[in-house]
Amino acid sequence: VFPGVRQAQWLTKTKLVEGLPPAVQGIVDNPAHGLQELEERVKHAVSHARLWDTAEVAPRREQYCPLLFENLIHICRLMSGKYPSLSKRMLARNCRIAATWERESILLQVRGLSGILMNSMTPIPPVASKEEILATKEHVLETFYPIAPTIDLQEVNVYKELNDTGQCFRDGYPYSHPHTLFFLESANVRTNRFRPEQLRAKMLMFAFGNALAKAKALHGNDPKVLEQPVVVQSIGTDGQLFQFMVFQLNTTDLVSNDGIKNLVWIDSDQNLYERAQCVPEVKKRVVTKPAGISGFQPDTFKKFLALYLHGTV
Amino acid sequence: MAALGARRLLRPGRRWFSETVPGAPPPPASPLYPPVVASITAKSKAAKSRRLQRFNQRVHAAATVEEKLRLYGKLQRPKYTVYPQTFALNADRWYRSFTKTVLVPGMPPRAAAAKPPVAAAGATPEASRAEAPGAADAPGVAEAPGAATAPEPAAGAAPCLNIDELRSLACDALLQESFYQNKKRPFLYRDQDHTPGPFLTQLVSTLAASLSGRNPLLAASSLDLNPEVNYYWHHGEEVVAHGHRKGRVDPVRFQIDDNPHLQIRVPKQLPEVVPLGSDLGDVPVIDHKPSKLPLFKKQYENKVFIGSKVADPCCYGHTQFHLLPDKLKRERFIRERLEDQIEVVYRSNGIASLFAWTAAQAMYQGFWSEADVTRPFVSQAVVTDGKYFAFFCYQLNTLALTAETIKNNPRKNICWGTDSKPLYDVVEDGNVKGFNDEVLLQLVRFLLNRPKEL
Repeated sequence: VFPGVRQAQWLTKTKLVEGLPPAVQGIVDNPAHGLQELEERVKHAVSHARLWDTAEVAPRREQYCPLLFENLIHICRLMSGKYPSLSKRMLARNCRIAATWERESILLQVRGLSGILMNSMTPIPPVASKEEILATKEHVLETFYPIAPTIDLQEVNVYKELNDTGQCFRDGYPYSHPHTLFFLESANVRTNRFRPEQLRAKMLMFAFGNALAKAKALHGNDPKVLEQPVVVQSIGTDGQLFQFMVFQLNTTDLVSNDGIKNLVWIDSDQNLYERAQCVPEVKKRVVTKPAGISGFQPDTFKKFLALYLHGTV
Repeated sequence: MAALGARRLLRPGRRWFSETVPGAPPPPASPLYPPVVASITAKSKAAKSRRLQRFNQRVHAAATVEEKLRLYGKLQRPKYTVYPQTFALNADRWYRSFTKTVLVPGMPPRAAAAKPPVAAAGATPEASRAEAPGAADAPGVAEAPGAATAPEPAAGAAPCLNIDELRSLACDALLQESFYQNKKRPFLYRDQDHTPGPFLTQLVSTLAASLSGRNPLLAASSLDLNPEVNYYWHHGEEVVAHGHRKGRVDPVRFQIDDNPHLQIRVPKQLPEVVPLGSDLGDVPVIDHKPSKLPLFKKQYENKVFIGSKVADPCCYGHTQFHLLPDKLKRERFIRERLEDQIEVVYRSNGIASLFAWTAAQAMYQGFWSEADVTRPFVSQAVVTDGKYFAFFCYQLNTLALTAETIKNNPRKNICWGTDSKPLYDVVEDGNVKGFNDEVLLQLVRFLLNRPKEL
C-alpha cells in the first residue's frame, strides 16, 4: 500500500538521510584502496555469474543472483591480503533473528530468516557525530493519519518475548558484532521477489532488529539512549539493482514519539550493469545487441567494497 | 567407371601402342584421375575408417573450441556413467584402468625452495627459518607447536607462515558451524549439509582470502560453489550386443558428471610435477566388461564442462574440494566389515573427479584424443567427509585413450594421493580437541601452489 520505508521509519523511530554517510563515502573516494584495478575483476565476476556459469545457454536468477553475490564477496575477501584485520570476519548463513520492542503501546516483533549475516570481532564505530544525533530530537516522525502505522503487519499472539541475536549464536562467540546483512532476491518469478521499495523496508527492519538485539545484549533491557550507538549495515540486491543501507541505533527508548531518533542512510537503486546478453540479439541479419555485459558501473561495486571495508579501514 | 573402360581397351592380345618414345618427358604432376579411396556410405571396414577420418578432419578443422566440443560430442549413443563417489568395491582400480592412470602413494616431492617456512610458536624468526629448510624435504611433516592455544603472530617475519593464525581461523570456522550457530536439527540423511558442508565452505574461503597475500594466483582466482564438471571420452572397444546395430564394433563410451562442493579456478596453469613422458608405475588391466563394476549405460547429452564456459579467463583448475555424502560415511563401512574400502572411496573420488577436470581443461585448450596434449595439465583435490581429509594431485599427460590412439601411446596419467587423516578429534564445549596441524599444513601447501614465475 505504502512506500514501505516510510512505514518502517515510523515503526523503528528512524530518521532517513539520502545517500551514504560521509565515512563510507570517504572510503569510496579514497584512491589508496586500489579500487580501479578491481574493475576488471568485477566485470569478470559479473560475466561469470550472468553468462558463463552454466552449461545451458543462460542461467536463471535463482542461480546467478547468489553466484554474483558470492563472486563479489570473494573479491572483497581477497582484500584481506592488504588489510589483515579483515580476516576477523565470519559469514553466517541462515541465521534466525528475533527482536521485540514497543512503539506507543503497540508491541512489535521482528522474526525470521535474515538472509546472510556477516559478523566481525570489532564493532563498527558510530557514523554520525554527536551533534547530528542530538539534532534528531527536533525531527518529527511522519505519521500516516488516518491509516494506522501497523497496517499490513501480521498480528500474532506472542507468548514468549525472544530477544537475542544470541538466539542465533551462543555465548562466547568470538565474532559477536553484526556487521552487514545481505539480502538476495533471487526468486525466478517476479511476483515472488520484493520490489525495491519493499526490499529497502525489509532491510531496515532486519538491520534494526539485529542492532536492537545487540544493544540489549550489551547494555541491558532498559530503554535508554545509547552512549555507544550500534551500527549495522545492510545490502540488498536482485542480481542487478543494489540497495545500500547504514543503520545507526541511537536509542532503545522507542515507546514515545519524541526524543533522540535512530538514523539510517540509504543509497537506493544502484545498477551494477545495464544488461547481460547471453546470445547476441539479431534483427534482420544485423546484430543489434552484442553478447556480453553492457553498461557496467564500477561505482556500485566501489560502494559495496566500501561498506565491506567499513569498520576496519 | 574410368577403371573399367581402360581395362576394356587393354584386353590381352590387343596391343595398344603408346605414342610416347623412350626418354619422354615425365608424366604431368597432377594425377589424371581422382584418388582411388574407399566409399563413404558402404557397409565395409574401409568405408568406416574413411568416415572416421573425415570426422577427425572436421574436428581438427573446427574454427573455435566451442565448435570442436560440439562436434566431439555430437553423436549420442548409450554410454557408461562413471560416478566419482561410489560404493562399488575396488572402484579405484577400475577407474584407473578406464583413465590410464598410475597411482603413486604420498604427495609429490616438491623443491625445498617452494615450501614456505613455518613459524613455530615462541621461536625466534631466525631459528624458525633455519629449521624450516631441514623440515621442508619430507612431505607432510610439520613442526607441531607444543600446547599453544593463544595465537602469537610471528614477530616481524613476513615470509614465515603463521600456523597459529591459520589454526585459529580453521577452529573458528569449525566452532561456528558445529557449536556456536543455533541451527535446526539436520534433515534425515542430510547430515553433511548441516555441519561439514558449511564448515568446508567457510574454511576454504577464509584460508584462501588470508593466503591470497602470499599467492598472487589466488588473488586472481575464481571460487565456485557447487559447480558442475563433466567429461566424455572413449576407451577400448566392444561388440554391440543387441539391437539394430548388433555385431558392430563400437568404442566404449564413458561420461563423468561430477559436482564438487567447492572449486578454485585460476587464469594460469599450475606447473608440471614430473616431465611429460615419465613412467611411475603400472596401470591396472581389468579383463571384465565395465558393467561388472557395476556401471550402467544411459544415453544423454555428451557434456564437457569445467565449471564455466570457454570464454572465462580463469580456464585452468587449481583445487577442488569434495564432500562425501552420508551414504559413504565411515561408520557404514565399518559396520559392514569393509574397512579396506574406506580408502578406496577417497581414491576413486580423487582419480575420477580430477581426471574429468583436467581432461575438460585440456579440451578447452583445443586438445582432444586425436590431438594429444603438448604440456601436462595439473590440478589438485581434497576429498573429505568433514573430519577426515585426503589429498590428491593429478597430472594429465595424455588424452589419447581411444582404441586406435592408445596403441602407440607410452604416456600415462599420474595421480598422487594420501590416505585420509583426521583434522581434529572432537569438538566439545567450544573447544576443538586434538587438532592436527599436519593436515592443515598440507591444505595450506595446496592453496599456495603456483607457477614458478609468480
